[in-house]
Amino acid sequence: MVLAYRGSLYLRGVQLRGRSEKRGSPFIDGMSSKRIIALVFIPLVFISGGQAVANEYLQQRQRMIADIEADVRATARYINKKSFSVHVMQAMDTVPRHKFVRERLRSRAYENRPLPIGYGQTISQPYIVALMTDLLQPQPEHRVLEIGTGSGYQAAVLSELVGHVYSIEIIEELGKSSTRRLSQLGYNNIETRIADGYTGWSEHAPFDGIIVTAAISHIPPPLVQQLKRGGRMVIPVGTRFQTQYLTLVEKDMQGAITTRQILPVVFVPFTGGH
Amino acid sequence: MHPLTEKRTLTPPLISIFILSAAALAYEVLLVRLFSIIQWHHFAFMVISIALLGYGASGSFITVFRNSLLEKYHSVFITNILLFGLSSIACFITVQHFPFNALEILWDRSQWQRLLLSYLILTLPFFFVANAIALTMMRFHLKIPLVYGIDLIGAGIGAVSIMALLQIFSPDAMLRLISISSIAAGFFALSHFNDRQRQLIASVLLLFMLAVFMTPQKWVDLRISEYKGLAQTLLIKDASLLMRHTSPVSQIDVVQSSHIPFRYAPGLSLQSPAAPPEQLGVFRDGDEITVIDHVTDMSSLAYYDYMSSAAPYHVHSSPQNILIFGSATGAPILLARLHGISRIDAVEPDKQLSLLITDQYADYYGWQALKDKVTIHTISPRGFATSDKNYDLVVVGMPGASTGGAAGVYALSVSYDYTVEAIQSYLKLLAPDGLLSITLWTSNPARANLKLFTTAVTAMKKSGINNPENNVAWIRSWNTATLLLKNTSLTAEEINNVREFSQSRGFDLAWLPGIKPYEVNRFQLLQEPVYYLAAQSILTQAIPRGSESRFVQEYKYGIQAATDNKPYFNNYFRWSSLEEFFSLPGQAGISMIGVGYPILLVTLIQASVAAFILILLPLFFLGTDKQEVEGRRNIFTYFLAIGLAFLFIELAFIQKFTLILSQPLYAVAVAICAFLVFSGLGSLYVQHRMKIESNIIIPVVLRRSVTLIGLITVLYIVLLPLVSGTLIAFPESARILSVFVITAPLAFFMGMPFPLGLATLQQTRPHLMPWAWGINGCASVLSAILAVLLAIDIGFNGVMLLAVALYFIAWLSRIERIKE
Repeated sequence: MVLAYRGSLYLRGVQLRGRSEKRGSPFIDGMSSKRIIALVFIPLVFISGGQAVANEYLQQRQRMIADIEADVRATARYINKKSFSVHVMQAMDTVPRHKFVRERLRSRAYENRPLPIGYGQTISQPYIVALMTDLLQPQPEHRVLEIGTGSGYQAAVLSELVGHVYSIEIIEELGKSSTRRLSQLGYNNIETRIADGYTGWSEHAPFDGIIVTAAISHIPPPLVQQLKRGGRMVIPVGTRFQTQYLTLVEKDMQGAITTRQILPVVFVPFTGGH
Repeated sequence: MHPLTEKRTLTPPLISIFILSAAALAYEVLLVRLFSIIQWHHFAFMVISIALLGYGASGSFITVFRNSLLEKYHSVFITNILLFGLSSIACFITVQHFPFNALEILWDRSQWQRLLLSYLILTLPFFFVANAIALTMMRFHLKIPLVYGIDLIGAGIGAVSIMALLQIFSPDAMLRLISISSIAAGFFALSHFNDRQRQLIASVLLLFMLAVFMTPQKWVDLRISEYKGLAQTLLIKDASLLMRHTSPVSQIDVVQSSHIPFRYAPGLSLQSPAAPPEQLGVFRDGDEITVIDHVTDMSSLAYYDYMSSAAPYHVHSSPQNILIFGSATGAPILLARLHGISRIDAVEPDKQLSLLITDQYADYYGWQALKDKVTIHTISPRGFATSDKNYDLVVVGMPGASTGGAAGVYALSVSYDYTVEAIQSYLKLLAPDGLLSITLWTSNPARANLKLFTTAVTAMKKSGINNPENNVAWIRSWNTATLLLKNTSLTAEEINNVREFSQSRGFDLAWLPGIKPYEVNRFQLLQEPVYYLAAQSILTQAIPRGSESRFVQEYKYGIQAATDNKPYFNNYFRWSSLEEFFSLPGQAGISMIGVGYPILLVTLIQASVAAFILILLPLFFLGTDKQEVEGRRNIFTYFLAIGLAFLFIELAFIQKFTLILSQPLYAVAVAICAFLVFSGLGSLYVQHRMKIESNIIIPVVLRRSVTLIGLITVLYIVLLPLVSGTLIAFPESARILSVFVITAPLAFFMGMPFPLGLATLQQTRPHLMPWAWGINGCASVLSAILAVLLAIDIGFNGVMLLAVALYFIAWLSRIERIKE
């Protein structure tokens, strides 16, 4: 199973480089035939340049993974584990986060921080994305619902781990651009739509996992109803640039609901002998 | 010289000064409003505090260029008036066009550059206005107290004018109005010029006034941050703005979202059989949301019964009448009606919110069916709590209350609704078996609710309830918690009712008489059952008088009871936890501390550095003569001390008056006006004495004023708490009058030390006058920030005593003995 995920990583890596090479050709076509030197050298320079950029992103992604791992160790007490699932980390290592942010922010895409994506929305901090994904305990046969597609990054990470991802976005422009992006990047197991997330997506219910990245005043009962027995729902609470805590909603095999609040940092509220 | 011309040159342009000072203070108040709308109000506080250092910068500037500026005083004066008028509008437009994202400041260094740019740009208007006033004082050096007095009186009038005008005009319209009226101040400073010059200058002024008037509206239209709730809601398909109302305290926007409902119901239980009905969203300053329910029939409101705030209706056996504090857009009234209560008193200090449900959207809300049973009072909870009526239920906050507390953005705002004294007064309103119910949002880690608990228990003990553990019930939902208090023990039936209500809705028990540890933390699991542990420690541990329970002492947040002397209910900052917060990975620490207090600290640091540079810089251009340097030390001490002290006292009194006036809006306007006008009169009195008794009088007046300021302040610290209880119950006009009467003597004497100091300098070292002006300007900025920081720790009484000490230090500096 691990290999299967690795496979998709390498496959995407090849595609990525392939596109870089292709982009070189119009450049060559525009050259005068007299400039043989240019014909010989410039594509080489360009190809190697493209590879350098791709390599640079790979390296940045590696650093991001290291950052996340460090954060996990630091918050071990609250998330009750010293590391996230190997699969989750592989998914984080696979998805080209720089393709989910605006051109001018690409150089910062792999920093362990949230970034603005327009329309008052953000692409979440990588650590929080990994934490939320890990909390869902994703399995290859799972169906996961996401409320708040945003850039599509979280859906892309999930799509590496589960069978189907269904994602709903309320802002039309954002929904359209993320749908386009996800299909261009070849994520075929993600279905998106522009709609009201509160009522869920009953056609595809029940879900094994649900992520709600939208401001809510209460946990929407329809979403809890569409959660499978044994399923998990994650709700981050805070501002667009600062997740204060996460709520994990669990439905047990008898259908009983509990919520659990998870602080994404190590914090011991009191020092007394309690 | 022609006698008339001579008279003109001896008379300062007082009308211009008056208009200019009024406009500058109005502009300052307006900026706070503008930035609160487009950004967040704690950032407004930071940006404007720093911008006011323009006064300090003007001191440095004039110190260096004094002679050349005074030589061309009349032209320089007019130029500065014009520049203030133009920059007041231009600087705001410019800053608004550099979208600075306050939320991103901890992640993105470039945001700091933008913040710095905002500071620099907004400093300009204050720099120009300070130049005009300081140069006038220097030019007419025999009339310093006169000019300063008019400056203060103008500012006082400016404070009330802006509050009144903001009731009529929108903030962006006010921006134009301030700009135009300050340019108009130039017309009153033309007497010195010859006819031809006068015509020319008047035409230029007119031209610029016209230019400001014609500025395209889209330039001044407010650009609300895209991260604010209003901006995000309007991006949703078919969402539209129905109404906008601006006032001196808030901008209220009513939004309809026909395609996707708001479904606003804080902490709604998953067991709720119904979702909220169609609602209108009501945004305050573009962010905090409340809603107006579309009431078609009572069954559409069934969801109200599945929020933790419904608890008191299930616990009390048969409530007949109810008092609601903070009815906002009417949600608590609907909850009461759902339970069939037909005698409802609702208290809402913001009249505009009440008007939405009783007037503009009365049909939508179904006010016709309610109005015979509900009376809405426009007054603060504390003002109403002096009533001698009794209620079966007294309900405070929620549902529908706004968010924000958890993020710490209100850490610095004063709230007299959640203090020990407040809860004592609410308990007095209860009928013998009545219940007081307070609902707040929860946060993680828990803060506000724990502070409420300590405050409530302290209030109960002070009210003579010796065993509060039997009188308290506390439950919590996913994101709200409701605290029930009773003057007598909860009965077995009531206790059972709490259990049943919570169990059936999946709410957790945090405290109940006889509660067992296994009953807590069952549905909404916390890492540790903090609420229960806090309650157990606070209620059951024997605590020596004046001490705190172990839990409160050891908790990482400051959750000590809030009092009228330290009414910072929303501040939970603790110095002892700072190191731990900073050690958290990434930016997590700030979400743990909340932004409010750190912003205050950052502002203080920035302002101190800037002030230090501004005060030090001009010294490089002055001589290094030994005697001269020694004198400077005294001047520095004197003007720093009185600059700090004046605002300490003024700000502390504004807070005290907020309680008396029951309306924060009027309190600030009335108190500032009273302080500035009476200080202005004090300064005019100094002018009068100097005229008839020559300058020998300076040391005498100085000593007397400092002594009297000290005496009156101490007297007020003792007397005000005794009389404010009585004053709150007076009619509004009598309360406003009493504020003026209380302020008059104190402010009158406080208006004297500054002009006395400047007049002394004018005789001994005139070249240091602008430097002293700058020091005072910087001190005022630092003082406004320090006053809040100190009040949180030592209370307002402490701040006032400190001010008295500072006046004494100023007097000790013996500025009047500095030799030429």
